[in-house]
Amino acid sequence: MLTTDRVAGGGLTLFALVVLWESRKYPLGSLHNPGPGYMPVLLASLLLLFGLLVLATGGRSEPFSTLRWDEGRHAAAILGTCAFAAVALERLGYRLTVLLALAVLIGIVERRRPLVAVAVSAGVAFGSFYLFNTLLRVLLPLGPFGW
Amino acid sequence: MTCRRSLIAVLCLVFGVAARVCADEPYPSRPITMVVPFPPGGVADQTARPVAAAMEKALKNPVGVVNKTGAAGAVGMQSVATAKPDGYTLLLALSSISIIPEADKLFGRQPAFTVDQFAPVALISADPTILVVRAESPWKTAKEFMEDARKRPGQISYSSSGVYGTLHMAMEVLSHAANLKLRHVPFAGGGPALTAILGGHVDALASGPSVVLPHIKAGKLRVLAGWGDKRLAALPEVPTFKELGYPDVEFYIWAGLFAPRGTPEPVLQKLRETVRVAVHDPEFKSAMAKLETPVTFKQGEEFKQFFEADAHRLAEGVKKVGRIETK
Amino acid sequence: MVETFQNLYLGFTVALSPPILFYAFVGCVVGTLVGVLPGVGPLAGISLLLPATFGLDATRAIVMLAGIYYGAMYGGSTTSILMRIPGEAASVMTCIDGYAMARKGRAGAALAIAAVGSYIAGTVSVVGLMFLAPPLAAFALKFGPPEYFALLLLGLLVLAYMSGGSMLKSLAMSALGLLLGMIGIDQMTGYFRFAYGLGELGDGIGVVPVAVGLFGLAEILATAGQATHPIVVKPRLRELLPSRQEWRESAMPIGRGTVLGFLIGIVPGSAHIISSFVSYAIERRLSRHPEEFGHGAVAGVAGPESANNSATSGAFVPMLALGVPSGPIPAVMLAAMMVHGVSPGPMLITQQPQLFWGFIASMYVGNVVLLILNLPLVGLFVNLLRIPYPVLYPIIIVFCVLGVYAVNGSVVDVWIMVAMGLLGYVLRKVGFETAPIVLGVVLAPLIEMSLRQSLAMSDGQYSIFASRPIAATLLGVGLVLLILSLRPLVSRTADWRARLALAAKGEES
Repeated sequence: MLTTDRVAGGGLTLFALVVLWESRKYPLGSLHNPGPGYMPVLLASLLLLFGLLVLATGGRSEPFSTLRWDEGRHAAAILGTCAFAAVALERLGYRLTVLLALAVLIGIVERRRPLVAVAVSAGVAFGSFYLFNTLLRVLLPLGPFGW
Repeated sequence: MTCRRSLIAVLCLVFGVAARVCADEPYPSRPITMVVPFPPGGVADQTARPVAAAMEKALKNPVGVVNKTGAAGAVGMQSVATAKPDGYTLLLALSSISIIPEADKLFGRQPAFTVDQFAPVALISADPTILVVRAESPWKTAKEFMEDARKRPGQISYSSSGVYGTLHMAMEVLSHAANLKLRHVPFAGGGPALTAILGGHVDALASGPSVVLPHIKAGKLRVLAGWGDKRLAALPEVPTFKELGYPDVEFYIWAGLFAPRGTPEPVLQKLRETVRVAVHDPEFKSAMAKLETPVTFKQGEEFKQFFEADAHRLAEGVKKVGRIETK
Repeated sequence: MVETFQNLYLGFTVALSPPILFYAFVGCVVGTLVGVLPGVGPLAGISLLLPATFGLDATRAIVMLAGIYYGAMYGGSTTSILMRIPGEAASVMTCIDGYAMARKGRAGAALAIAAVGSYIAGTVSVVGLMFLAPPLAAFALKFGPPEYFALLLLGLLVLAYMSGGSMLKSLAMSALGLLLGMIGIDQMTGYFRFAYGLGELGDGIGVVPVAVGLFGLAEILATAGQATHPIVVKPRLRELLPSRQEWRESAMPIGRGTVLGFLIGIVPGSAHIISSFVSYAIERRLSRHPEEFGHGAVAGVAGPESANNSATSGAFVPMLALGVPSGPIPAVMLAAMMVHGVSPGPMLITQQPQLFWGFIASMYVGNVVLLILNLPLVGLFVNLLRIPYPVLYPIIIVFCVLGVYAVNGSVVDVWIMVAMGLLGYVLRKVGFETAPIVLGVVLAPLIEMSLRQSLAMSDGQYSIFASRPIAATLLGVGLVLLILSLRPLVSRTADWRARLALAAKGEES
């Protein structure tokens, strides 16, 4: 039966195995002179152990199918917007990126009135840019047209 | 149809005018960015800011310092290596610029950048490293230290700012020339390395002079010798390793200004001239005096020779160190 | 003693002079602003604003920088409590119970307790700094890699005490966090581990993107799509301040947090975040109502916040007394001093009494200024929360991205935050705690480095840990604690955690 703990334990075990596989290219060294691979292998082995234990004792937790992912679509939209921000930040510049990201989130994802969305987006984008870039001299990226 | 054609015509006109205007722009006409690949407060940063301020005065054009840290300087250096060579992005680098590509090669990695991606502009400061030990240690001269090291190979420990870092390489250069075997304990930066020797956890340290001078004056550390060509002005009684009979032992922690390769020659000339004016600026001189960092200005051919000799020395040193053995 | 007070008087005359006062105030305001920004903590704040101080003279510059430092610590707790987003990495623990208090409508109380706790801790620790600086500094220097390793192992044990519920799950999360901390350049050999060609990962994935992602972004991901949005109960003025009960509950944690934070802060190289984690764990262990932790325990806010602030003064001890940088923040302050011609070193206190005592006095002043700034602002901040959530959270996200980006100017950090946000969301869904991951990321490189340095110092002999008194003592304490915690496995009485879990299950069924 697929329970939450079993899924989690499985995930952790898998991750630990991947790390162990990736660590094989770093010399292990010895107990007296640990190499770069020593700690990662040690920790990954520990994680493997814990993952397996969680997997083994996971029968008592709730079934995985009872997990509700109601907010999942929303979360996906938010993550997508954040990813867009990461991609666009240095290409489109700070102000443009923030304007677009906020407009999408407030206007489209949250379905607020477009005027509100644009007003808030512009306000935050330009206001925060002024505060941090101009006043506090935290250099923020400028886009192609100096925006 | 006519609408579109006239739009295209207008755009061409605008771009043409813009291009002509840009081409005729005198250098500099925009703010210049000086990238410092180390965190604020470090040696590079402390040297960069007075330089930038003095250059700004000389050029009457803003010169801003930007810290782009990461990977012991590799991130910032790489960003300038790949920047547009129009003279608006400069790099203030330390001697590690020659070490990082060598270390990359040692590990079979794609080098983050190569030394020939840069055009040297000028050298600003070049501090020879000095060998310090605790005041309570039994060695009063460099000779005693080296003899003891030969008698007890691998027993005397020293700290450094990180493996393949400048402080590590300085000691390695000495060890190879004088046939010493010392125990290396790397730390995460110059600050922790200094703390380690002050706390008595290691026996020796090769350090830039400015950070250890207060402790020498306070009697906590003793300086045995220096890696320079000449004796330090601040420590005139300290011999150099060259004087002690090791002509190959030379090591400087230097800071120099670089531009991406391909920057037009007139721009480079202007930059060199500006730096020359900048280092003679009284405010700059007093700022550097406060940091107790002597100004060693070299430019053009002189700097190129110095840089290439140093790069060669460091590359050889890195190759000799090889990969750290973990048996 | 009399001399100390004379000097302090001298210091106050310096610190209270209008121009110095002005710069302290500016520093505090700017620091608070910077601290409120998610992720951007005191180090980033000082580094970013260091250039702005170059035109000033030494005392003014140092006073302003110290103000920024303190302000950032105070400001960091504000975002943690109001939005469950760590304003700076060390405020992660405040997020847990502080936000829970806010959800219960006690946001004002939490903010006030954090402010007052920080003030008391800051002031008391400055007193400690004043009187104990030279002897403490000498003690701190004796902490070398073996001692540090022993201390960190002790910190690891703390990980096991941190969360209630399943010990196995929190151990798994600790292991995960420790493993994530392995990403980056191996300082001992120069290998790039798990970096996959990204130079920016050379220094590791960074605790700021991890903390902001795991706590801030994950929180938003989990609550944004829900049908009912968190409604902030509109507080009346009376409700803005903590009740007498709450004050009583916070008194001892503040005291313990102050002492603890100061001691941890003195040790060169220790991160502030460790002091807040340890304080949280100790408070949880000592509390009579451990089940409250995670759901709005006052001690869970008072302790870590106090520990945080007194760690800052502790960090100044080696810096001022010996001229030794005990961490990145004191290093920047030292550099600021050098730039202004003040040469730091063991002679600083005697050679530059004006600077030293002016600095100490300005720390008192700074604490008062911040208390004055923050308490009335409590009402203002709580009102900010009344912006409708669907409009509020996108703005919060923007500030998270801004904060995380501003630390290093690197987009890779933003990606790490996004990845951690997703991870945190999933982990919440399957019922795992995320705080141990943050501590793991911080501790892993430190533990590994000090172990290998110790072995380098001793040429591979593990006996170095036994032969050095401080290290041996710390390891001994750790062993005793470990045995004590394993006792329930031997005896039949249930561990307090198991009791907690049983109680929780009883509630649910």
